[in-house]
Amino acid sequence: MLHLLQIDLKKMTSYRTFWVICGLYFLTLGFTTASGMEILKWIASKFEDFGSSLNVNRIPLYHFPDIWQNLIWVSGLFKLVLAIMVVISITNEYQYRTLRQNVIDGMSRWEFVLSKVLTNVMLSLMSVGMLLLIIAVTGLIYTPELSAMDMLTGSEFLFAYFLEIFAFLSYALMLGVFVQRSGLTIVLLMLSHMIEAIIKLNLFRESLEPSIGWLKQFFPLESITNLVSLPFPRYAFQEIQDTVSLTAVLIALGWAFLFNYFSYLKLKRADI
Amino acid sequence: MNEVVLSTHQLTKNYGKLCAVNQLNLEVKRGQIFGMLGPNGSGKTTTLGMLMGVTNPSSGSFSWFGEPATHHTRKKIGAVLEHPIFYPYLSGQKNLELNAMIKGADPKNIPKVLKTVDLTLRKDDKYRTYSLGMKQRLAIASALVSDPIILILDEPTNGLDPMGIAEIREIVKRIADDGKTIILASHLLDEVQKVCTQFAVLRKGKLMHSGPVDDVGKGEETVEVMAYHDDLGVLLQEFVGSGLIKKENGVFQVMMKDGFHSQDLNRFLFEKGIVTSHLTTKKKSLEKQFLEILAEAH
Ligand SMILES: Nc1ncnc2c1ncn2[C@@H]1O[C@H](COP(=O)(O)OP(=O)(O)OP(=O)(O)O)[C@@H](O)[C@H]1O
Ligand SMILES: [Mg+2]
Repeated sequence: MLHLLQIDLKKMTSYRTFWVICGLYFLTLGFTTASGMEILKWIASKFEDFGSSLNVNRIPLYHFPDIWQNLIWVSGLFKLVLAIMVVISITNEYQYRTLRQNVIDGMSRWEFVLSKVLTNVMLSLMSVGMLLLIIAVTGLIYTPELSAMDMLTGSEFLFAYFLEIFAFLSYALMLGVFVQRSGLTIVLLMLSHMIEAIIKLNLFRESLEPSIGWLKQFFPLESITNLVSLPFPRYAFQEIQDTVSLTAVLIALGWAFLFNYFSYLKLKRADI
Repeated sequence: MNEVVLSTHQLTKNYGKLCAVNQLNLEVKRGQIFGMLGPNGSGKTTTLGMLMGVTNPSSGSFSWFGEPATHHTRKKIGAVLEHPIFYPYLSGQKNLELNAMIKGADPKNIPKVLKTVDLTLRKDDKYRTYSLGMKQRLAIASALVSDPIILILDEPTNGLDPMGIAEIREIVKRIADDGKTIILASHLLDEVQKVCTQFAVLRKGKLMHSGPVDDVGKGEETVEVMAYHDDLGVLLQEFVGSGLIKKENGVFQVMMKDGFHSQDLNRFLFEKGIVTSHLTTKKKSLEKQFLEILAEAH
């Protein structure tokens, strides 16, 4: 297994595009999540310019336990960048026909898919690690009263985050395996949410909503989004889902498995 | 020595209605240099693709070393099909390291194979900057990196200059001398005749012929004769061993009857008091045989 991961990393580590995209991803991810307080202060200063006041310290954005869901939800927005990297990595193999040579050289098709999936696992773990670090540091800085209980409550979002990234990267990989062309795959990837939304809109007309509306959560992209729900309405005194729902995890796990399985099925049957 | 390395059984590939490879039965033994011949589109690359696991056969089967093939088998085979394929943004060296990793080969072999194909000086340049000939050479290097028992080369001299072709021929011969089995698909019949021990001819996916290269032109001999004598043509016809006689560019081409050889003709002429200025025996070329095999099929 490690050997397969090493093979895929060897392909990427001398590839400039890989470093540029990954660099951009981790930098923007790091800066955005770490500087939320500064942004909030800046917004508050604008408010003051208009004569109203906003006490930023009253919003516990970076306080344990809120920080888990807050930062993780924001980080989820960046996963598209990583997914584009995954698309480039797989479509290159088709474009350069190196997939063919890899198989000729003695990789099985299963091993090839596995090497890509392992890289996805690694990228997801790195995102999780990065976020854990940022949450630990900023949480310690901004939380007024630390308690071990508060710090650990909500840490299950870290697992949900891992699944969110991994499932989405698996989806990107599958799209790449089926479409095989980088430009088209990236466009489809970016439109995916919209396409799914349109399908849902047409499928669940108002009259049907009460009876089969619950089916929505089974849609692939929705299932990924449902893992970590939007936390901010709670600061406007609205009810939110502030724990990780087991159903959401199971559905997303199912999809992550299926995405990768479809990639393998497609590759197994193809003449390459 | 007679161990069968590869055998195919009714191997078939259909692309829709088109039958690219049609019930192919082949056998390659250890140590053979097996030439695969056939016009464009006759199914050579498709056959090799099936043997290397990238093209799924429609029906039929094949076995390497007497066992059904798995990806582990392929690690023992060095193969270049059609075009060299590498990561353009990686250097030649890095590409070979990757090949070695996939094949589970010792990376220590890399300097050696780079030297074999004369690319040592350019190993750190990106593959994308290589000339066509250098790409072909790197492909051969990558096929050699795992020190394979079998080498499969599909038109390895495609696009090379005459010097490059000669060099590749030398490389192939050197590898063959190491006792490796080589399967070589090529359009250069001259090359095949020079290096191969066996050959097979495909046409529209069907096997038309398979046999040793040494058998080509057996029993048929043409003798080229030149002499400063006006009646040479008449005299040649008097010789009992003469078959058909042709004159090309002042040189007589005498097709010998069965059992007669050039020395018999020479003796005959000498007895008639004629000393030849040029006398050579010509065996039928593979090219001629190849064209005949294809013509018979019509
Ligand atoms: N992917 C494919 N889809 C459809 N037809 C194909 C495909 N690959 C090959 N063919 C067809 O199969 C036949 C055999 O092709 P193949 O490449 O094996 O020929 P070849 O003997 O290698 O020819 P050449 O000497 O030109 O390299 C051709 O008619 C070709 O058009
Ligand atoms: Mg070919």
